[in-house]
Amino acid sequence: MRLPMVIRATLVTLLALGAAASTLLAQRTPVVRGINGSWEAYPLRGEGFGSGVPPKTPVAAPQPLPEPPLKQPHLDQWRATQARNAELTRKGLPPPSTGMACIPEGMPGMMQVTFPMEILETPGQITIIQEAFTQVRRIYLDAPPIAPQDAEPRFSGHSTGTWEGDTLVVQTVGVKETVHFRNTPHSMNMRITERMRLLNDEIMQNQVTIDDPEYLTKPWTWTWMYKRWPGYKIQEYVCEDNRYFEDPSLKYQRLRVN
Amino acid sequence: MKLRRVSVRAAAIVIALGVFSVSSVWAHHSFAAYEPSKQIKLSGVVTEFKWTNPHVYLQIDAQESTGGETKRWLIECASTSILNRAGWRFNLVKTGDKITVIVAPLRNGEPAALLKQMILPDGTKYGNGAAAGSATIQ
Repeated sequence: MRLPMVIRATLVTLLALGAAASTLLAQRTPVVRGINGSWEAYPLRGEGFGSGVPPKTPVAAPQPLPEPPLKQPHLDQWRATQARNAELTRKGLPPPSTGMACIPEGMPGMMQVTFPMEILETPGQITIIQEAFTQVRRIYLDAPPIAPQDAEPRFSGHSTGTWEGDTLVVQTVGVKETVHFRNTPHSMNMRITERMRLLNDEIMQNQVTIDDPEYLTKPWTWTWMYKRWPGYKIQEYVCEDNRYFEDPSLKYQRLRVN
Repeated sequence: MKLRRVSVRAAAIVIALGVFSVSSVWAHHSFAAYEPSKQIKLSGVVTEFKWTNPHVYLQIDAQESTGGETKRWLIECASTSILNRAGWRFNLVKTGDKITVIVAPLRNGEPAALLKQMILPDGTKYGNGAAAGSATIQ
């Protein structure tokens, strides 16, 4: 009779200790790390794109994106496409784009935040909603990494993340090969690494690195920045009727007038 | 003092880069099909106001300010969210309203144009977002 009492008391004590430990652990790794809420691209992009409110403490703008370090013959093909598109644009014949068919940007394009984005921090997950095309990314925290060969091809790929100090490090694989950010081809072995970190209360930096040994001679890296937009509510954006279509003979974008 | 000068210069760089990056971020299409420098003024009656994405469209039976015949024009506006942020609302305009628009017409001569500014009968003016550009005539 007395022994079970002792066991019971021990169990109760152990449970209490366990609860206290998990509370302490939860306090040390809070769910909300301060990136929750709405964000717009920084530097600000003019009327209609964002708040128009400059930050209290401006920071230097990131460098423009470099040319993708493509292997040959892809680099020559990429440069030829850029030149052809520029020439068509100069002639007033906009080059065709996937947007004509209401196809979303996918990764990493959606993270350039042409339209505002919302970040939601919940236990074990960070969700990013890009207003344009209502694109959604789910970043699973401290989840096992996904091998590219096991990743179903998607526009936004498959993302896992971990907090390294004040930096959220996100790995993304499984981006569809038809998703061409800046007309740049890639393989199913492409890996996108993002390092997101607050530079001050209002500005967040995202250092992006693209690795793709099949297409790139070295990692393609650049930085994007975002500015907090308190109170902004993301709007609905369903691409229901793009009146632009590809001219069947001349291969440029035309507007359906009637 | 020195710190303030630096931050003013940083702000100027930020603003300048912001302006230059506008054209390159437009994902759906470029506005290259429209006249880059020519703008015209049209006045007429709204026959349709489509509050849709990726673009809002106005259809108007309108005449150019320089005269000529009344034609049915298709006027391209930005997305619903860009217009909401620029002060528009889904019910700002309705069929039968008389409006004036300053637009850049298509280069190929078809009766369609990119909105630069809309003027309502009470004189209030609405822009079409930074990417579409602003009115250079009045």
